[in-house]
Amino acid sequence: MQDINTLVTFSSRTGATERLALAAALGAVQARALIRLRWLRENVDDPTIDGLPEWRENRVRMAREYIAPREIDFLWADVLVLAMPARDGDSSPEWKTYLDGLKGLHGKVATAFTTGSDATLVSLCPVLAGLNLILVPPDPTATALLHGRKVTEAARALKQPARDPL
Amino acid sequence: MIVIRRNAERGHADLGWIESYYTFTFAGYKDPAHMGFRALRVINEDRIAPGRGFGAHAHRDMEILTYVLEGGLAHRDSMGEVHTFGADTIQAMSAGTGVIHSEFNASEREPGHFLQIWIEPGVTDADPSYQQISFDPLEKRGRFRLLAAPRGSHHAEAAAIHQDAFVSAAVLAPGEELRQKLAPGRHAWIQVARGNVSINGDALGQGDGAAVSDEQDLSFIGGPDGSEFLYFDLA
Repeated sequence: MQDINTLVTFSSRTGATERLALAAALGAVQARALIRLRWLRENVDDPTIDGLPEWRENRVRMAREYIAPREIDFLWADVLVLAMPARDGDSSPEWKTYLDGLKGLHGKVATAFTTGSDATLVSLCPVLAGLNLILVPPDPTATALLHGRKVTEAARALKQPARDPL
Repeated sequence: MIVIRRNAERGHADLGWIESYYTFTFAGYKDPAHMGFRALRVINEDRIAPGRGFGAHAHRDMEILTYVLEGGLAHRDSMGEVHTFGADTIQAMSAGTGVIHSEFNASEREPGHFLQIWIEPGVTDADPSYQQISFDPLEKRGRFRLLAAPRGSHHAEAAAIHQDAFVSAAVLAPGEELRQKLAPGRHAWIQVARGNVSINGDALGQGDGAAVSDEQDLSFIGGPDGSEFLYFDLA
């Protein structure tokens, strides 16, 4: 079986998107991928954080449990999974910086999740396609767990040496 | 036959926030001569700085036991289990189809001292599960306190694992003797957690291990400092 490395990058405030990211990562583990979970920390001021209950507590905990995404992570990955909260999309400065910093992704597989509206993902798809990633479309009928499995299995199928049809 | 694995021969890594001794190949320590013993794959002795630990990471198809020697461990996983536990407790996680978890020294002030044990499961793709069982320390004094046993073997006091393996802890006072029968065809691993103990006359110190095969009668005698050790009965 081909080894597959799945990188799950997420940002999260109250933990909803973190749960989505964890579920997708677990699906990848079920599909026998090695995984890395990376947290994109938002640059926000204290009053903003205090405006949303649970945000501060989650932020302290997540700062312990996850490290920030690094270049070696996306170079390592066969699969990139992005999980972003409602308002972010590619318009938030942290995500824009992250996406702008991605390179050397030709032939890697990507998908995205959001806890927000489909518009977030719709705006993201051309960005990912522009990075020469092979996009596995978000599937609103599948759970994050199943979709994490599916995208990992898709990457494995792509890595298989081509079979002689005869 | 008893083959001793000395403390100082183990793999060693000091990353500042964690100092580890590896009885068997693990992470950056690779030794083809020490890949495990029977189904026992990992015994890591970790000392972890206050508040530090392992961030979210995944396991698959492994029985993972954690035994606290000093301090406490804070655990959180993808099954929704959030726990803090200390000594005289066995924590057993069956990774099966997959678990993502984090574990940290639960104290912000005191270092923690832990044994982490991996046992290869007899089946793949088991349902992930979490067990945590605490006991009175008197239950391991001068006798074996069963920590883990095969699923279906009906030992309610022990964690049930997906392997034909029994794991026990025992504490001996200086000079105190404990005898154990090893069934024909079975193998044992002894890991000294504290102090010193002799096994059939061979003296073992803290951090030493011993692989036992083709022996039927084992005699453990507490050394000058007394001892706590783990005993693995393996197929």
